[in-house]
Amino acid sequence: MADPLSTPRLTSPHLEHFTSRTIRLVGRVTQLRGETATLDSDGVVTAHLNRDAHLTVGNMVEVVGKVNSDLSVRVLRATDWGRDVDFEAVKAVVDATHRYKEIFYGEP
Amino acid sequence: MANYGYGGGYSTTSYGAQGGADGGGFMGGSQGGSQDSPGGSKTYGKDTLRPVTIKQIIEANQPHPDSDFKIDGAEVTQITFVGQINSISSQTTNTTYKIDDGTGLIEVKQWIDSDADPATSKPQPQEGDYLRVYGRLKSFNNKRHVAAHSIRPITDFNEVNYHLLEATAVHLYFTRGPPEGAENGVKSEGGMFVDSGLGNSAVAGGKKLPAKITGIARKVYELLQSEPQNNEGLHVNNIAQKLGVPSNEVFKAGDVLLGEGFIYTTVDDETWAVLEY
Repeated sequence: MADPLSTPRLTSPHLEHFTSRTIRLVGRVTQLRGETATLDSDGVVTAHLNRDAHLTVGNMVEVVGKVNSDLSVRVLRATDWGRDVDFEAVKAVVDATHRYKEIFYGEP
Repeated sequence: MANYGYGGGYSTTSYGAQGGADGGGFMGGSQGGSQDSPGGSKTYGKDTLRPVTIKQIIEANQPHPDSDFKIDGAEVTQITFVGQINSISSQTTNTTYKIDDGTGLIEVKQWIDSDADPATSKPQPQEGDYLRVYGRLKSFNNKRHVAAHSIRPITDFNEVNYHLLEATAVHLYFTRGPPEGAENGVKSEGGMFVDSGLGNSAVAGGKKLPAKITGIARKVYELLQSEPQNNEGLHVNNIAQKLGVPSNEVFKAGDVLLGEGFIYTTVDDETWAVLEY
């Protein structure tokens, strides 16, 4: 696997710039329906789950996944972050990631 | 400079203990420390602990083999980062974790303490867990890894965000200098940047105090700048009374400020004014 070893952190508004890349996204689980979850990450994100993913409605979750052309995310790994994560800090990290990307990710 | 001695003693014990209190700290981690001692003597006293991203570790340059790694032009000795375990491989002498923080992948080796009592050992981290790692960057056969002094699991995920923001702040410190409104002319020998946010209020007169001027000295300087006075300045007792601190403390603060040339004595040794030029 050549570069993108990095999985840039982003929120819903960035998805369109990262189609077919593997990314990281933190959001609150708003809905769970079978293999599909809806997340709120500064906007609505549809996540297609794998079998290992255990999400809880109301909790924050970090997903590593690939961005589909319809801007949904195919989840490779999901990590439950619990309820008490400050989303402002999440947004600040996403902002820093893209503003100072020299320390966060390379171009594919 | 004793205040800034992020010396060898900083490494294993304190963090090991802290990890233990959190219910983490999978092992005492004392062996990792001793493995690192050969390089320790030459950098002793200027040892720093720098928060970094894994991309920075991968891209750190090493001017020549066996020399210290540099990130943003500053030597790095000890580093800390937060990441998620991609894979674990257990060997007889060490456990190797592949850690991914979203910016890259790096191997972290933790030596196994054969003297550790299995009965008291902590549960082993699992794949997918987030870890906080403290260690040193090593190069072996052109392959980089981090020799961990201490590893503990992340339980509050705000720490992930905190770490990435801290690493960014430190990166910006080294590439662009201290933040606007903070200190100019800080002797940037590493490790001091953490102070920079503290005393930003002491810039009233336009002149900025370096980060090492702390506490009462800063207050004395602020008072001398803000208090209406004739050109004789203020007497020590007057300062002590206004700040509500003992006059011997004010004397100590004054010595620091006098030594650095920020204030000068006027009618007698106990009356000071701000040195402006």
